[in-house]
Amino acid sequence: MPEVLTFDAVVVGAGPAGAAAALALARAGRSVVLVERGPFPGAKNVYGGVVYGRVLDDIVPNWWEEVPVERWVVRRSTMMMTGTQSLSVDFRTDAWGSAPYNGMTTLRSHFDAWLAGKATGAGARLVASTVATGLVRDGAGRVVGVRTDRDGAELHAPVVIACDGVNSFLAKEAGLLPRAEASHHTLGVKEVLDLPHGAINERFGVQDHEGVDMEILGCTREIPGGGFLYTNADTVSIGVVVSLPQLAASGVRPEELVADLKAHPTIAPLLRGSSLREYAAHLIPEGGYDTMPALASDGMLVAGDAGAMTLAAGLWLEGVNFAIGSGYAAGRAADRALAAGDCSARGLASYRTDLESQFVLADHKRLRKAPSLVLSDRVQQRYPGLLCDLAEGMFTVTNPTPKAGGLKLTRAAAARYGVSLRQLATDTVRGLRIFG
Amino acid sequence: MTGPDVLPGSHVPAPQAGDGPLVVACLRIGDLRPAVDPLDGSVTRDRWGVGLPPADAAALEHALRVSAAWGGRVVGVCVGPRSVEPVLREVAALGVAVVRVPAADEADAHRYVTELADDERALARTLLAAVRPFGPPDLVLCGDRSVDRGTGALPAYLAHELGAAQALGLVALQPNGPGALLVERRLDAGWREQLRVPLPAVCSVEGAGVRLRRASLAGALAVDGVPTPVDRSLEVEAAGSPTGDPGSVHLGPTRPYSPRTRVLPPPEGDDPRLRLLALTGALVAHDPPTVVQPESAAEAADVLLDFLVRHGYLDAVPGGGVAPSTGDPTA
Amino acid sequence: MSAPPPARRRWDGISFEERMATVDFRVGARAHIAVDADVCRSCTTKACVTACPANLFAPTADGGILFNYEECFECGTCYMVCNSEGALTWTYPDGGHGVVFHHG
Repeated sequence: MPEVLTFDAVVVGAGPAGAAAALALARAGRSVVLVERGPFPGAKNVYGGVVYGRVLDDIVPNWWEEVPVERWVVRRSTMMMTGTQSLSVDFRTDAWGSAPYNGMTTLRSHFDAWLAGKATGAGARLVASTVATGLVRDGAGRVVGVRTDRDGAELHAPVVIACDGVNSFLAKEAGLLPRAEASHHTLGVKEVLDLPHGAINERFGVQDHEGVDMEILGCTREIPGGGFLYTNADTVSIGVVVSLPQLAASGVRPEELVADLKAHPTIAPLLRGSSLREYAAHLIPEGGYDTMPALASDGMLVAGDAGAMTLAAGLWLEGVNFAIGSGYAAGRAADRALAAGDCSARGLASYRTDLESQFVLADHKRLRKAPSLVLSDRVQQRYPGLLCDLAEGMFTVTNPTPKAGGLKLTRAAAARYGVSLRQLATDTVRGLRIFG
Repeated sequence: MTGPDVLPGSHVPAPQAGDGPLVVACLRIGDLRPAVDPLDGSVTRDRWGVGLPPADAAALEHALRVSAAWGGRVVGVCVGPRSVEPVLREVAALGVAVVRVPAADEADAHRYVTELADDERALARTLLAAVRPFGPPDLVLCGDRSVDRGTGALPAYLAHELGAAQALGLVALQPNGPGALLVERRLDAGWREQLRVPLPAVCSVEGAGVRLRRASLAGALAVDGVPTPVDRSLEVEAAGSPTGDPGSVHLGPTRPYSPRTRVLPPPEGDDPRLRLLALTGALVAHDPPTVVQPESAAEAADVLLDFLVRHGYLDAVPGGGVAPSTGDPTA
Repeated sequence: MSAPPPARRRWDGISFEERMATVDFRVGARAHIAVDADVCRSCTTKACVTACPANLFAPTADGGILFNYEECFECGTCYMVCNSEGALTWTYPDGGHGVVFHHG
């Protein structure tokens, strides 16, 4: 008979979603255990690099005074590139450089441990280096706990919150998440490069603790995806995110794509003299609203990446804030269900309605069509080059030939990339409908 | 003198003085992956890189096994800054009483490491003073190598301070009746020697052969967030003189761990020159070395296997070829 | 016979081994990946070989797959791109083991 320990709630995964869920439950006075398979919270986690803090305002007042931060993002650059050209829309504001701030770069081993520390500080119990290997169900099939890999010991609770990440074996076992579908996932590979603090400030045009966030389109060869470059205190994070099935079909090695990006004439000077500190890879659930699993079943809730909560909608690439938002909502819904004595799927249904009413599912619903547009062939393969050619045509001085008009240049660039003006107009309207 | 507090809330009652044989594991907990700047030599330490070196983990596992066989108790002791606490908690989760002697300068972990490497005798006295409230140790175990410049001098100083027998660099260790241990040590050429070590004893072990067990779930939960006990007595000088004569270590059978060498028949003939030539094969024609550069790894493997078969190092597999069969259902 | 494995090329002056050496792997005793070579022999795409960011999979001469588990990022790419049911079994490594990202 395995050892059994009983709590009000079991939260699996001490990432942002799990830590937020445990924090909500602990604050409500529930006994909650947070199970983490890594040796510390954040050990298994990789992300691009920016956390948007608004979601923390209600959860940790004045969070910016204590959060482990690398740099506060004050510049955001969206770049389209071809092998030899690049076109950026670069935005900078002082407003993001002071409290309450907008986004920050931070490292997950620091940030996740900090947030999990908030949960344990409120009374949650953390047990690290422990894998939740499966669900424990009662006679009626309701989830009543998890098994662990510590001698098969079990943690029992009326409600289990699965925040066990993109591969979520618990959500799959519960039947909430269908079989892993490669086409709903992208692979992110990232290099963290050492670069002195001063060199970052000079090269990226920032000072002190200000940082830059760059999103790049057109840097992943024929594979749908994008690139990113974020500044940390004395490192930079650079990487690519690519469609999983098309990466597999392409025969291109992921690290090759990062090397391409680092060698691009626009990027290379920014990174000169840097050396590799850490290489990393992680999957991202990018299917969006239409591929999300059911979020509740009898005795169980799903939050964070396990619930495909990452928002990857072109202009917006957010994950940690959605994980925190969904995790905290899951914790509160579990508390309400415990108070009502009904932890069935119906008793836990307030989780979904809560998410629908706040940004977590509202954003996902509004941008549900974005993933297909952003990963479409035209946006990926043709528009970066088209726009770069257009800019080159506009800004190349052609004396004594008179300047060509914008429409003519657009026509020529569109023709070169095999895009009709009709398609261009269609995609513009689509884009406006999705993002507008 | 302030004795160490026991872990509050621990599921395992902390051992008290005179409660079965006492096994002490001296642990050196440090940053296992420090980053060294190649230009200025500065060391960057990572709070999450702190861990038990393999040899110290093996020492702890041996301590747990021996104490289980004796029905004894284990105390884990280390000198270190506050940053080692999470690792010490994991040790405590195994049901081990733990004591930490704070580094002289809590803020500067690097300085503490340097100081300890400089004075192993002071370290030995500090460690023994910290475990004195638990009673006299019957066995003290250390790792034979540690991340922070393990010199191997610590066990010797410990043995001197305790008046205990010592056996260093062990790969196996088991109780041999009450009051003695049967241990094994590597020798050159794959041989091993067995030693009978009387108690009390100080032993250091290699980081090989055993894997540190994992704590039970209840154990892991019991130590979550619990502060580890700190011994602030710092009685470096008061360790006292050695008590009694150390027992002597007896050498047991030495046994080989590699196949014996092959005996060749002596060459025939009367002429020493011919015998020498026959023995060395100096005039026998040899195949010159061949560099094979086939297209693929599979072909290279085939060429190598062919060579080995041709020269009698391998038996050819019936059915032609030596490689694992490639889809032949009858093979 | 399958195509020769892709050569491990150096990208921007750093070999793949050096690249992987920057990552902290706390290798457990149990292999958390299992491959059924019989199923792999009938696979024509071998997507795991190119997609795995840690380059853990190598095709063998007899059409099977040889794999390592030690330097695994635990991302899940391999089992998601695998198109043969049951060829690849993938679980998390034992608690506390496996990859540890310090700059994730």
